[in-house]
Amino acid sequence: MKKLNIFAVLVALLFGLTATAEAQITDKPEYGKIAITGATLHTVTNGTIEGGIILIDGDEITFVGENARITNEYTRIDASGKHVYPGFIDGWSGLGLVEISAVPVTVDDSELGQFNPHMYAFTAFNPHSASVPVTRVSGVTTVLSHPSSGSISGKASVMDLWGYSPDSMAVKKSGALVMNLPSSGGGGWWDNRSEEEIKKQYEENLKEINDFIDKARFYDRMMKAYEADPSGKTKPDHDPRMEAMREVLAGEVPVVISVDDEKEILDALEWIKKHNDMRFIFEGVSEGWRVAEEIAEAGVPVLTTTLYTPSRDYDNYQRPYQNPGLMAEAGVKVAIVSNDTENSRNTAFEAGYAATYGMGTEEAVRAVTINPAEIFGVDDKLGSLEAGKQANLFIADGDPFEPLTKIEHVFIQGYKIPMDSRQIQLYQEFLDRDAVNE
Amino acid sequence: MIAAFAFTAQAQDKGSVLIQNATVITVTNGDLEETDVLIRDGIIREIGKDLNAPRGVETVDATGKFVMPGIIDAHSHLNGVDINEGRNPVTAEVTMEESVDPNEVGIYHALAGGATAIHLMHGSANVIGGQGETLKLRYGTTQEGMKFEDAKRTIKFALGENPTRVHGQGNGVQPRTRMGVEQVIRNHFDEALDYKRKREAYLEAKENYDRRGRGTPPVPVAENLRYEVLNDIIEGEIYVHCHSYRADEILMLVRVFNDYGIENYTFQHANEAFKVAPELAKHGAMTSVFSDWWAYKFEVYYSTAFNASILNANGVINSINSDNDQLLRTLNHEAAKVVRYGDTSVNDAIKMITLHPAIQLGIDDRVGSIEEGKHGDLAIWSGHPLSIYSKAEMTFVDGTKYFDRENDPDDMRIQINPGADFDDGSNFREITTRRETDACLQDAFILFGEQSAHNHN
Amino acid sequence: MRKFILLLALLFVGFGIQDIFAQTTPANALKNVTIHNADGSTTESATIVWRNGVIEAIGTNVTIPFDAFEIDGGDSLHVYPGFIDGLSTMGSPALPRTQDLPRLEEPGNPPYDRAGIQPERKPSELLTEDDGFEAAMKAGFTSAALYPNGFMLPGQVEAFYLSADHADVELIKETMGLAGSFEEAPGGWGSGAYPSTQMGVMAQFRQVMFDATALQQHMKYYEQNPEMPAPDRDRVLEAMFPLVNNSAPFFFEVDTKEHIERILKLQDQFGFDVVIVSGKEAYAKADELNRRNIPVLAGIDFTDAPDWYAEMKKEDNDSEEASEEEEISEEEQMYREKQLEAWKAEVSNIKKLMDAGVSVGFSSAGLDLKDLTKKMEVLLDEGGLTENDLVALMSINTANILGLNRTHGSLQQGKNASFSVFDKAMTEDKAKVLHSISNGTIHEFKGN
Repeated sequence: MKKLNIFAVLVALLFGLTATAEAQITDKPEYGKIAITGATLHTVTNGTIEGGIILIDGDEITFVGENARITNEYTRIDASGKHVYPGFIDGWSGLGLVEISAVPVTVDDSELGQFNPHMYAFTAFNPHSASVPVTRVSGVTTVLSHPSSGSISGKASVMDLWGYSPDSMAVKKSGALVMNLPSSGGGGWWDNRSEEEIKKQYEENLKEINDFIDKARFYDRMMKAYEADPSGKTKPDHDPRMEAMREVLAGEVPVVISVDDEKEILDALEWIKKHNDMRFIFEGVSEGWRVAEEIAEAGVPVLTTTLYTPSRDYDNYQRPYQNPGLMAEAGVKVAIVSNDTENSRNTAFEAGYAATYGMGTEEAVRAVTINPAEIFGVDDKLGSLEAGKQANLFIADGDPFEPLTKIEHVFIQGYKIPMDSRQIQLYQEFLDRDAVNE
Repeated sequence: MIAAFAFTAQAQDKGSVLIQNATVITVTNGDLEETDVLIRDGIIREIGKDLNAPRGVETVDATGKFVMPGIIDAHSHLNGVDINEGRNPVTAEVTMEESVDPNEVGIYHALAGGATAIHLMHGSANVIGGQGETLKLRYGTTQEGMKFEDAKRTIKFALGENPTRVHGQGNGVQPRTRMGVEQVIRNHFDEALDYKRKREAYLEAKENYDRRGRGTPPVPVAENLRYEVLNDIIEGEIYVHCHSYRADEILMLVRVFNDYGIENYTFQHANEAFKVAPELAKHGAMTSVFSDWWAYKFEVYYSTAFNASILNANGVINSINSDNDQLLRTLNHEAAKVVRYGDTSVNDAIKMITLHPAIQLGIDDRVGSIEEGKHGDLAIWSGHPLSIYSKAEMTFVDGTKYFDRENDPDDMRIQINPGADFDDGSNFREITTRRETDACLQDAFILFGEQSAHNHN
Repeated sequence: MRKFILLLALLFVGFGIQDIFAQTTPANALKNVTIHNADGSTTESATIVWRNGVIEAIGTNVTIPFDAFEIDGGDSLHVYPGFIDGLSTMGSPALPRTQDLPRLEEPGNPPYDRAGIQPERKPSELLTEDDGFEAAMKAGFTSAALYPNGFMLPGQVEAFYLSADHADVELIKETMGLAGSFEEAPGGWGSGAYPSTQMGVMAQFRQVMFDATALQQHMKYYEQNPEMPAPDRDRVLEAMFPLVNNSAPFFFEVDTKEHIERILKLQDQFGFDVVIVSGKEAYAKADELNRRNIPVLAGIDFTDAPDWYAEMKKEDNDSEEASEEEEISEEEQMYREKQLEAWKAEVSNIKKLMDAGVSVGFSSAGLDLKDLTKKMEVLLDEGGLTENDLVALMSINTANILGLNRTHGSLQQGKNASFSVFDKAMTEDKAKVLHSISNGTIHEFKGN
């Protein structure tokens, strides 16, 4: 044990860190039977309960309601005047994969190669990233951590933000397959390719993707045939890429496609029509408001943000803020995400802007709770305050979209986590730096 | 491109308006409820209850609404034609005054977020970059018309990773280390002082020879723009705004400035300023920081969203800046995060986007608070400006209304390219997200090569 | 006689432009032509006689001297004063390719040429083969002010008589001024240099002016006192002296309103005379240009009309075709209104400048002269100019700005014999130049 500590200090010195900056969270979480009383419960799926009670037993919510007998086994948390929400889910983040984006050796989200369906964010997710505690104390309890290179980047994983191993943190290892379709529109004024070049590149790239998927379908059929009756058949070689596509082709794992402008969205809608064996999610979708009806009709849910500048010179300045609301109004299932890594904690403010600019608070809360849970197929565990669901929730002193609101307690998998992070520790150390004990 | 010049507002357009019955966040004198603010000819003339509108002055009923001084962003690259003259480690002679694009539609977007002034800065590629320009967001005027008249002159310095990467790693010229950064600054100050001595001696000898015909003619010493500016810094005519992150490099510059007698300076970004807050307070150094950006590069890895609160508690004059065209639209909520994270008071947080940046830009005698005699640069908010549910409803500069939510057409371009049809790619802008962290190194990517051409700040 | 001319023309088909008669006849006369005067008036059935490059007589009542070779226009040809391209890079060597520029040891302190500072360069010493010369003559141009391709200070401006062969392009006037622009130093990755930005160019320009001022002072002192240290002579800085001393104007190529404001700022600082070249948005500064007495050698390389507008006009013209109603959103409709407004502003630049009293001439400024007719049509249809305006713009107005008006720019006795002979009025459909007389030399074109 002692040796280990010395090693840690040496490593810290090597990186030029002060010992304090490397301070770890030493507080332990609380776990067991916990009762939260007196709070306004924002269940998301069953309305709001004033002065309600939540019982947590282990990793599970066992009761949500107004009246319950609370035995002495329960640790009580009096949350009178406070608000309880299901843990927010950031449905598009680099958390765990990227530590410092400008330092390439700390960036693990971009594997080489064009087609990597067999890569899992889960594998490289660093449970000890400094950003994980920074994020979870803000009430974001779960993220979809995604890889991002090539045409098929790999599988994004749904990860809870408490735990010491990816295994204990993973809600769903195969949260979604991440795919990048080429863009037919060209990249705007900074793109100096000719129209023909753009078209040619687009078609070539699209054909590669189509070919890959066709091959995967063939592989799946072949393997199914073999698996159904192996007798008299030579076992086909195992292909990890193709194997990783099978759950996608079975419709079990959705495919996330990043699209932004109108043309990209329409192209993608056209493309997915030809692939109706798969389920799709759009990410980005900054011009979704221009084609919201079409997206809704196709039944494609979206992962989107609000805090960015308009995509066209002549767009109204508030269009990005209104975009999620306009899509939701048209019937699109919307999840609001951070599209961030170290500041995944800002998910609430992305949603707050949507709430303010047309979506309304209730729908915006859904967009960071039950909607992403449903989109990634984890709504049996996450996304609302319901008995039987996993205890991911937080207690706030007000509306969590308000920057002035404080998040007071956070539960993840039933653990009432220490409200601590390196950022908080730095505050504690440096607020009154030169103070001494007397 | 052709500008349509749809607006005809001019710098000298000073407006008059009576805003009635608002909660007035004065910044310097508390929040005044049910209070009127009278602006005449661009100047706040009266703050009080039940003021009468002088003849011909428009009134705005702001019952239930809030009036806050216009947000001032101490660090912006919003409408720079170019940002980085990144080919030399020292380019004090260039100035953003000559790199202003008055037609950038983002100016209007910023007004819609309640902002009225920005500090348009040179980038951070160079140890001593170009001079900055403080602008009022008078959208629709000229580059001259946007200038904040008689604002203090400013200049950008930059320490740490950016200049060492651009010049040391990129061009193979010093500095490549933080050691080199210090010496580049000292060497240039020393050269500037030598220049000044020689130039003054020459001018004196020239005068003697030309006018009095005495002695032999001197060998001319040409006027040198770069050294002139460096001397202006030493003489206190220019405020320094220094891009910096690490605590040690911040202290380095404090030492250097002490040696040259430079007194008025602000550390920009300064993610680790909280670690040396007592030293900064002692030397009167100021800071202008992000609310919560961190971890995008190594030198900001050990930083915290509590930075602003620690600095404030230690008596350092701190502002919250955007350095980002999106954050500029929502700086009120960036300030709110200071309250969220470090329990700073609401009024102190508001100071960080109003009075404090004004102090750092040398314009606090005219803007940054709502006081009689100050400029009529303010916004009317639908609710308390730190609430996520509040929207700027009207924004005034010099008492002239530049944004009105009630009259807010979609297409606010004033520069229109007749060659671009509706769907043409040239109408698409690069989207800036809340976390886009490369504005400071705009134009300088080219120096690193493609591999690292993103994610720099 | 007319047949003879045509026959001769046929004989020379295949050679493009030919210098004919020039060395063999003491004088020449062109009779029975319509002369378009620079002031817009026309003279029918006129005769023009020239000798040794000078117009000896012109008008309806002219006696053709015995030693003048006669050409009969047969009352169908139109003679215009030779057009003058107010500023062009015709015949200039090409710019170095970015990839050919070696990496600099100190990109922050480059040699002058790598910074784009080359005021010592003279087009007369650099002229090289260029198809543009012939194209210009076929468009009715007989002379041009030229400068070399370059960057912020590309070189000097000199005036020339045009000829298809660059070796025959004769100098009219040297060092009429310096050319300038806000172009950054050449180079890309690794090879770029200071100044690399608009603001850097402004600062570096000032520094060059300061350095030139100091050198000139030093040279002056040294002349008086040779016992003092000798100045480091420098061709580049010495070429800046005309600007330092305001003895020659600065021909500055700018388009945007903001760039025009920036050059005015430099003018305020240094006091030189400025001629705006190209000046697409000069209309936005018309009053100030007029106040400052700054002329504009305007470019007419306008943006093409928006496609939808061109189509709409076409449909209006042949209304027999049932026009299909295009369905567009209200958003797009409003976009189009702004787009059209911006386009109309662009094409009426010259008209607005003229109305404000600014002296406006012509410069090709990047225009492919093959497009000249098309652009002139736009000026007539949408730009508010008359045919007379156009002729004046390209002849006497440009001559005035270049200081060549005593000899060039109009058809008058005693002026230089530079004019173009069109087969019909210039603005008519498919009008073309048959002969171009430049400094008295006749150039004839094959019928294309």
